[in-house]
Amino acid sequence: MTTASAHGPSANPDRELLRRYHVDGDVSAREALVERHLPLVRSLARRYAGRGESLEDIEQVGAIGLIKAIDRYELAREVALTTYATPNVVGEIKRHFRDRGWTIRIPRALQELNVKMSGAVERLTVRKGRSPTIAELADELDATPEQILEAVEAGSAYSPVSLSASPGTEDDLDLMEVIGEEDKEFARTDERASLEPALGELPERERRILRMRFEEGLTQTQIADRVGLSQMHVSRLIRRSLEDMRDTLSE
Amino acid sequence: MSAPAAPHTELVELETPIGREWEPVVRLVLGGVADRLGLGFEELDDLQLAVERLFAEAGAQPSVKLVLELSDDRVRAHVGPLREATIAAALQGPPEPGQLGLRRVLETVVDSFGVDEAEGGELVVRLEKRVPAR
Repeated sequence: MTTASAHGPSANPDRELLRRYHVDGDVSAREALVERHLPLVRSLARRYAGRGESLEDIEQVGAIGLIKAIDRYELAREVALTTYATPNVVGEIKRHFRDRGWTIRIPRALQELNVKMSGAVERLTVRKGRSPTIAELADELDATPEQILEAVEAGSAYSPVSLSASPGTEDDLDLMEVIGEEDKEFARTDERASLEPALGELPERERRILRMRFEEGLTQTQIADRVGLSQMHVSRLIRRSLEDMRDTLSE
Repeated sequence: MSAPAAPHTELVELETPIGREWEPVVRLVLGGVADRLGLGFEELDDLQLAVERLFAEAGAQPSVKLVLELSDDRVRAHVGPLREATIAAALQGPPEPGQLGLRRVLETVVDSFGVDEAEGGELVVRLEKRVPAR
């Protein structure tokens, strides 16, 4: 499968176009190659759809991989361009997801466990009047603690758009506030100054959540109850907001 | 699955490259420790967030070490050595009003924190999270 002939007649026009581009410097040949192989990019990009990025965006990232493959292609190797380009396109797409901090290729069982997690956390929180332990979650979901931890990680692979709100519980949890003890080395800031100047760029919901967490000192569970999201969703929004703020500061 | 915690302090050490792709490794280790101690899911999340923010602030250094000191009633995380001078400034200086900086985040998510000096003037940040009484 390493020779061009193994890929049928379509490999021949590729070779001619590659020769024109690499030997003659014909840029239009490069454009023609990109055009010819966009269907390949589209089909590879579809595999990564449903992870929160639009298919169009994934295709664009994949197209960069294709262009890199065309540019790096060595005529002497006699490998079909499709064979050479596929790992480049896939690699570019994977790198894109990885750079966004998202894990990919999550086993279905873990995805399903992750879906059940939010509800289980809320049920147990209500039942026990506190945040459940990993072991309690494992018992509740008939899983091992390791699977629970992996399922939480699988959740961090979800993208912003797939973080759909789950219905909050109507029970008033009335949890004990656990923060606020005096620190031995660092005295806590007594007055919790308004965080408003720091939150300017964030959407209103995220600003509200950060104010509740870092200004009012509410727990994630208390916030979840107030805004009608799951605790896990609140956790993800806090993380992402802090990262966004940091990115904004470092720009 | 929470085995009875040993009466003495136990250590778990991890040295990891810095980068988002390594964060799951750190979170999983902290998760395993939380399971050992019977730390609540939300308290685990707090501890993970604290360590993640420190790693994020560690800047351009290639790797960082995480030492977890486990007792029956608390976990103490030592993160460092950290070269970044901004960490010292962020933690030791007075918190800037209206800013959601590292100090404000740590004040909210862990029970206590402090800074120890390592060799060569580098810093090790100490975070403590207590296991709530059940």
